[in-house]
Amino acid sequence: MSDDVMSMVRQMREGVPAGRVPARIFNDREVFEQELTKVFGKAWCFLAHETEIPKPGDYVTRYIANNNIIVARDEKGEVHAHLNMCRHRGNMMCKSEMGNASHFRCSYHGWVYKNSGELIGVPYFNEAYDKKLDRKEFGLVKVRVESYAGLIFGTLDPNAESLEDYLGGFQFYLDIYLKQGINGSEVHGPPDHWVAETDWKICTENFSGDGYHTPVAHQFGFHLGYFPSSGATHSKGWAVHIPDKGHGIGLGHTPGMPPFFGYPDDLVKQMHESLSPEQLELFSKTRTAVGSVFPNLSFLIQPLSLEPGDPGVRFCTMRLYHPIGPGRMEMWSWCLVPKDASAEYKEAAYQAYTLAFGQAGTFEQDDFENWTKVTKMTGSTLAREVDFPYIQGLGHEPLEDFPGPGFAVEPYVTEDNFRNLWATWARYMEGE
Amino acid sequence: MALADAEVRGSISDFLFMESLALDERRFRDWLTAFAADARYEVPVRVTREKLAEWELSPSSRIFDDTKRTLEFRIERLETDFAWSEQPPSRTRHYVTNVLVELTDVADEYLVHSNCLLYRSRGDDPNPSIFSTQRKDRIRKVGDGWEIVHRWAAIDQSLINAHNMSIFI
Repeated sequence: MSDDVMSMVRQMREGVPAGRVPARIFNDREVFEQELTKVFGKAWCFLAHETEIPKPGDYVTRYIANNNIIVARDEKGEVHAHLNMCRHRGNMMCKSEMGNASHFRCSYHGWVYKNSGELIGVPYFNEAYDKKLDRKEFGLVKVRVESYAGLIFGTLDPNAESLEDYLGGFQFYLDIYLKQGINGSEVHGPPDHWVAETDWKICTENFSGDGYHTPVAHQFGFHLGYFPSSGATHSKGWAVHIPDKGHGIGLGHTPGMPPFFGYPDDLVKQMHESLSPEQLELFSKTRTAVGSVFPNLSFLIQPLSLEPGDPGVRFCTMRLYHPIGPGRMEMWSWCLVPKDASAEYKEAAYQAYTLAFGQAGTFEQDDFENWTKVTKMTGSTLAREVDFPYIQGLGHEPLEDFPGPGFAVEPYVTEDNFRNLWATWARYMEGE
Repeated sequence: MALADAEVRGSISDFLFMESLALDERRFRDWLTAFAADARYEVPVRVTREKLAEWELSPSSRIFDDTKRTLEFRIERLETDFAWSEQPPSRTRHYVTNVLVELTDVADEYLVHSNCLLYRSRGDDPNPSIFSTQRKDRIRKVGDGWEIVHRWAAIDQSLINAHNMSIFI
């Protein structure tokens, strides 16, 4: 890393706890290049949801940094992740985004691998290699995987801590998205997938609980009555983060809201089985749950009213921000639905999702318009010298009687989670 | 494919051109009148798949999954001063070609195939978004005119090169 970026990161280690973050991190070539190894080479990165590959042989292709990865379920039902590259000459193995195959055959010289990664077929093995090639040595490059409640993560760091330790208690909050029913959640279908001139970190920060932007960036929703919150009380609720891990969630609360509003009754009943009493206490009061797992996976659950003033339909989205260049990313956006909900609710929740999020979603549209502009502006020479204030909630003590783990504060509108996010990011960038 | 006569084709083509002119001139309320009360507006998610895969257009995922009511929701939003994705507005141009009007088993209802190349320019960005789409519209005769019962538009790209879709196909 150049001295220049190194000193910026070092200054950040001191600046973030005091509430300052340099604008430059949101659009800078060297920052991007360093992140590929310093952050994405070390962290647990989301690959796929188990319901995307339910059957033996099912696979999807995904990314960690610039590594294209096959995530496949083998014939025994076990999930594997491998670099999507033939070990012979580097050709791409799977050229589709999803499918079903027990074996992968390279289209260049024909090496064949099982979906669990072992090399099992080498053309002219006797004649050309004199049987001397050790096939065990040339399986597909393996990526370590672990999963939590349907989420499959991979890490490029063989020495990384376990996923359980990495999440560090954030599972408690992830369950609002992942355990919506007794058999959990499933993807409604393949994700929306698009390119944006946006730095991935802007999205991670926003979804770590930026309740502050909602009444302005999504003002239409308040103004027209489609979003069941009001500007006067929108700051209410809680923000929680896992110190040193980077994960954070905002839990917005509407005063006077009925418990679990926007959920159908049968789902509330199921949640009484899938969730703990502490989770039920907190989630029953939650209108909006918007959280990010460090570095680039986020979730949101909230109601959207289809008629002004209606209590609304709950939808849940999961999103991945894949960095592809300085200030440039690929967006993957899924809708998660409870597996055991009625078909009617699943469709209604999906329709609410498409109206609010996904590439044509009305909330998403406005977010990306703002985020592309943030990215453009922070890439300028003058902006490089500018710090942004992150002082909301600075010095507040955490709540003592909060039902969940982590550092929890009131109100929902605060920047505690973001300071934890940027301190974590800076620590990764320094290589600690 | 059994095709309608030239008169019907001409009349439906004019209807489609008028409809896209309303979009390109940002007369969204006029545009909405082209849709039947029970209309569906659907843009499926495309996935890159092997040649023999069962589908390339997801049977369950959609970029737009709208009724006339939710299209109105989107238009009400555009009429506010804080639909930031369209502030300032996109400049769009719909190029509608290859119109084929297929007969259906319902009299006065046609399955209309067309290609729609949608150009969208925003701000001072010299790089426009270009969406190449295949459309299949179910179009019904009402009085002297027509209405869209079902718009179905599939984008040819699987990874879409635009930060949002704040416009209509």
